[in-house]
Amino acid sequence: MRLPAGTRDWLPPELHRKRAVENALRGVFARWAYAEAQTPSFERFDVLETGLGDTLAQATFLFNDRTGTQLALRPEMTTPIARLVSTRMREAPLPIRLSYVQPVYRYEDPQEGRMREFTQAGLELVGAESADADAECLFTAIEALDALGLDDALFDINHAAIVDGILEGIGLAPDQIERCKTLISDRNLVALREALEAMGRRSSIDEVVRLVMMRGRAGVLNTVRRFCTSERSRAGIEHLARLLSRGVDLGYGDRINVDLALLRDFSYYTGFIFEGYVGEVGFSLCGGGRYDDLLPRFGFNAGAVGWSAGIERLLLALERRHAAHFGSAPAIDVLVSGSDVIAARERAAGKIVRIDFERRSEQVLLEEARRQRIPRLVIARENGVREIDVTW
Amino acid sequence: MSLTIAIPKGLLFQPSVERLRAVGIDVPADPGRKLQSVDAAGTRLLFVRPADVPAYVEFGAADCGIVGADVLWETERHVCELSDLQFGACRLVVAARRSDRYHEGAQLPTFLRVATKFEKSAEAYFAERDLPVQIITLHGSVELSPAVGLADLIVDLVASGKTLEENDLVVVDEIKSSTARFVVNEVRFRAKYAAIMALLERLDPALETQ
Repeated sequence: MRLPAGTRDWLPPELHRKRAVENALRGVFARWAYAEAQTPSFERFDVLETGLGDTLAQATFLFNDRTGTQLALRPEMTTPIARLVSTRMREAPLPIRLSYVQPVYRYEDPQEGRMREFTQAGLELVGAESADADAECLFTAIEALDALGLDDALFDINHAAIVDGILEGIGLAPDQIERCKTLISDRNLVALREALEAMGRRSSIDEVVRLVMMRGRAGVLNTVRRFCTSERSRAGIEHLARLLSRGVDLGYGDRINVDLALLRDFSYYTGFIFEGYVGEVGFSLCGGGRYDDLLPRFGFNAGAVGWSAGIERLLLALERRHAAHFGSAPAIDVLVSGSDVIAARERAAGKIVRIDFERRSEQVLLEEARRQRIPRLVIARENGVREIDVTW
Repeated sequence: MSLTIAIPKGLLFQPSVERLRAVGIDVPADPGRKLQSVDAAGTRLLFVRPADVPAYVEFGAADCGIVGADVLWETERHVCELSDLQFGACRLVVAARRSDRYHEGAQLPTFLRVATKFEKSAEAYFAERDLPVQIITLHGSVELSPAVGLADLIVDLVASGKTLEENDLVVVDEIKSSTARFVVNEVRFRAKYAAIMALLERLDPALETQ
């Protein structure tokens, strides 16, 4: 009776906590005017592949239908949403704000924080290329973690053009830049030093390593500004500077840092990138950024920015905080014995009603109500109705 | 903010201890059966098997650690390799019985049996050379396997080469070399940035010379 590796059941108290997290995020999405959308769990692989990077395409569950068409369980939500927008919402006025809370599937080695089936919640803002859109992307994520009580979560931001600017500045060719970005993204500085040495850039090694290890705020941007000459990388730096100052206005000044090595899946992100995390959990809780090249692959010429969070990881972070109270099971308001009519009236009044099937004695019912912390007991018998306030 | 550092027991233990002491972290000379210790400044040290360091760091049970590159070659775990500490040098080599004369250039036949603790590195080496072999994963005393007919070749780590000699084995090829590395958990690197950078600047020979 085993479950497949990387899957799990959700018993009622667990599912209740999960729903509480999902609904808290839905509340934030709704307040920012994002409408929730849903797509199929599986799609044609050739369609999904259009939007997926190599790593995710490799981690996709594949199967065939009876005609031999290759199908895939979606490994993430951004590609299906991009497909949905590009095919079904082309006429909608831009920008389009969509959110989702959906299970996704990845064929990976299961371990803590990495399941084969897990739930992603997130949002996509399509057709807005401005700095305002990037700011909205970041601030929705901060509010989302705040809504869960993770109001000390930290957020690292970066812009894809800055590392490009640094590496172009030392004269690397595009393929060398890609190689270095892989190593920077992994924070493998030993291999980065070796690679730069092999690329004949010995004199720049210490400088590059120092830059990609920097983390901070305006000071980091001021330092890196000296190394970036291209217009694109300069624009990226100014972009981050504005985001930092808008964050300060919202009281997030201490929580947002610039991290020049934060690249995530850099074949995907074209501009602003961010990740959110808390110190207790060894992996990030949410992340996203701007991906202006994705929708054009589906024939829709619009930029987009978005983020997603793994619900199970958020639950893990809350558990580590012993925030078990977050979403405790709903309390029963009243225990009713012997009358469908009274029970119906209570439900109509919005109460959570448990019905006693066995017409047990008042003594037994009272004990049960006390044990289960049910504050009211209604007993209907032939000789009348008794309503008891239960104390314990 | 105090740090938790995973220290490998075994060959890298003594040089790791010396390096940490040199930067002011107090490590017991012989932890004996102790699995962890905390120094006066609050730095916690975890004494773990070398191959387990990446797991402690990836999951954040330790913020950072010291581990041989040879362990990182074989692990799937993601840790950030911030610095080459330049001690604990050794080489991963292919070795064979002297009598087989592979070290003198004799052609390696296909489907040789290769005994090793370094399955991934060995597989990659032979795959690159398009040479199909049968990898036999062992957990120790790899040098014994050719003498008793378990394997034709071994892929193993050598420091001085003495053990090879004692077992009448010779190096056929050198695959790569290893030294101790300073690794960190990605999130802890951010969350404890100042403390980790301060430690790194004192530990890292490449930063020292600047």
